[in-house]
Amino acid sequence: MARYVFRRTIQALPIFFGISVIVFMVIHLAPGSPVDRFRVPRVSPAQIQRLIELYGLDKPILQQYVSWVTTFVQVWRPEAWGYSFLDGQPVLEKVVTRAPATLRLMGTALAVTVLLAIPVGVLAAVKQYSWTDKIITTFATVGYAIPSFLLGIYILFFGGVVLPQWTGGRFGFPLFGMESFGKQGDVLDLAWHLVLPVTSLAIQQISGWARFMRSSMLEVLHQDYVRTAKAKGLPRGRVLGKHALRNALIPVVTLLGLSIPGLLGGAAITETIFSYPGLGSMFVESVGSRDYPVVLALTMLGGFTVVFGNLLADILYGVVDPRIKY
Amino acid sequence: MTAGAGTRRGRAGVRTARGVPPASGDGANLLELRGLRTHFFTRDGTVKAVDGVTFEIGNGETIGVVGESGCGKSITAMSIMRLIERPGQIVAGNVVMHGRDLLKLSDEQMRDVRGNQISMIFQEPMTSLNPVYTCGDQIAEAVQLHEGVSRRQAWSRAVEMLQQVGIPDAKRRAGEFPHQMSGGMRQRVMIAMALSTNPELLIADEPTTALDVTIQAQILELMKALRERNKMAIMLITHDLGVVAEMADQVVVMYAGKVVERSDVTTVFERPHHPYTEGLLRSIPRLGERRARLEVIRGVVPNPLNLPTGCLFKRRCPYRMPICDTAPPFQEVRPGQYSRCWLTPEHEPPTVGLSPAPEVAEEEAERLTVAPR
Ligand SMILES: Nc1ncnc2c1ncn2[C@@H]1O[C@H](COP(=O)(O)OP(=O)(O)OP(=O)(O)O)[C@@H](O)[C@H]1O
Ligand code: SF4
Ligand SMILES: [Mg+2]
Repeated sequence: MARYVFRRTIQALPIFFGISVIVFMVIHLAPGSPVDRFRVPRVSPAQIQRLIELYGLDKPILQQYVSWVTTFVQVWRPEAWGYSFLDGQPVLEKVVTRAPATLRLMGTALAVTVLLAIPVGVLAAVKQYSWTDKIITTFATVGYAIPSFLLGIYILFFGGVVLPQWTGGRFGFPLFGMESFGKQGDVLDLAWHLVLPVTSLAIQQISGWARFMRSSMLEVLHQDYVRTAKAKGLPRGRVLGKHALRNALIPVVTLLGLSIPGLLGGAAITETIFSYPGLGSMFVESVGSRDYPVVLALTMLGGFTVVFGNLLADILYGVVDPRIKY
Repeated sequence: MTAGAGTRRGRAGVRTARGVPPASGDGANLLELRGLRTHFFTRDGTVKAVDGVTFEIGNGETIGVVGESGCGKSITAMSIMRLIERPGQIVAGNVVMHGRDLLKLSDEQMRDVRGNQISMIFQEPMTSLNPVYTCGDQIAEAVQLHEGVSRRQAWSRAVEMLQQVGIPDAKRRAGEFPHQMSGGMRQRVMIAMALSTNPELLIADEPTTALDVTIQAQILELMKALRERNKMAIMLITHDLGVVAEMADQVVVMYAGKVVERSDVTTVFERPHHPYTEGLLRSIPRLGERRARLEVIRGVVPNPLNLPTGCLFKRRCPYRMPICDTAPPFQEVRPGQYSRCWLTPEHEPPTVGLSPAPEVAEEEAERLTVAPR
């Protein structure tokens, strides 16, 4: 297993190289420049030219790339990922400070997803064609189809505006942020702030997972070994819960790894809507202001999660399916 | 390959001595199917997969069920086990075992029959075992469920069963997953699982069809040996008459969801009555016989959604007569031999005349019919 992980990591290196080249080129080819925000009458063209030289933007792009990549990999140095063009802070430090908030958001959303989607999907499959199934399938389809930014805004509006109005201000969720001022570190307060963002992030995930779980379970229910289990005289609960579920979970388990990048992408939108101070909102801001070092760092991180999500999926596959050995 | 197996004669002798008259219900029968009908309600129409099947299985008797693909053999077996699922439904009939109609049992009572009194081996050895549990686990599960023994006892029973079905190094093999075994081994595991609870009836649905010839012979030998030891009855489904000759005491020939002929195995091979049975027998290649081509029954199995009226076999039957447009009776053509055909026991056209009015034909069919339909 360790050897497998090692081999896969080595195999991932060219992928990372490819990602870095593409990301770097795309960002530099995209219209706009980090110095654009200084192009106001008060700043003279000479000053702007000095900024361009300071950032190294006048150098040939290949040279820029090489110097970026060679420092980027030296993660043990605090300045490895450069300094934000916006506030001059070391990017690595900014990422490390903001990461826990995003991890908390994604982790909670993922946990909620798994706990809800699996039973719901199984229920829909076991009661195929029933009203229960139709209702679940309809909700899942709608939840999957609705754009997440729209859903986020609805949820924000309902939980943060409509609900307090209805209850005369007694009940409602915070409109923005991760914690209330003066309550830093209060776990309950953190959780309270998570409710709406997690809901909007999880709904799409739950919909996708539930649909997947349903079809996986349906497929397994028609397998010969399920019939064998019934023919043995096992009670229905054991047939479904032991023989069918365990097999139906195999493909779903890989979703665990594969959905991490999706969650990260969703987090960017959700965090922006809820002004949640995580990596996602930071990413959106940095793209808007062409803060190259931050954009590059976060995009590379995104690439990492895709590659390691895939690896995690494959490893989990080997854990749950005895037919697969590494 | 065909007639003349010593074991068969011997067993046939035993059976005759016991004298199991069909449909008599004198207590010698382990299981009786009466007018079983299982239909599939599909979008294109109703498929009458099993349409009025009646036969019985005597204690310790091996009954061979033969017929072409799609004639309803598996569905009959699954109906006995009540494993039919949507869009299928058992719409009529009884399955009587020890005086109880299995079709009327509660789900819980039926679970106690499944795997305990009746075990089933399925047609597909490669996919019938659960890939994520070890073979030992899957056998032990059945033992634990029905015998109420501890997990450890159930496991050692599983190992013992694997030994019995001839799996070498059973102790280690019990801990292996199905994908680590060959098709023949998996079928042995299935047999071990089915027999681990000492059932009174084993339903074996083409247990050897998916296996190659040498393995096939081994599995059949194994089933014979275990049959003697456990004194169980076997319902052996196959489309291989060679297997029937080797294993069965009684034969049921099915065609398009109905039983068209049944009798003891010697009679079927020596004096088949139904033209379909004759056709089946002719299609067996005989050793040393050189024929231009294998004789097969011409024509194809009728589309289950578009069955002919009258005799279902008439489009393929070489003896076809006008009267065959009326459904033929299931008549006793000789003691112990039943056939669903208008031909007289002497293979002559019936006395009512070749083309009687439909009412006359129906009346005649009524008169000749024996078993409840
Ligand atoms: N789920 C289903 N939906 C519709 N029709 C079905 C279904 N299952 C079986 N049938 C029909 O039932 C009939 C009998 O099928 P069955 O499996 O009993 O055949 P069989 O005699 O076992 O054939 P084989 O030798 O190929 O195993 C077939 O005509 C088939 O089309
Ligand atoms: S009833 Fe007629 S058509 Fe049918 S098998 Fe007999 S002879 Fe042939
Ligand atoms: Mg079959």
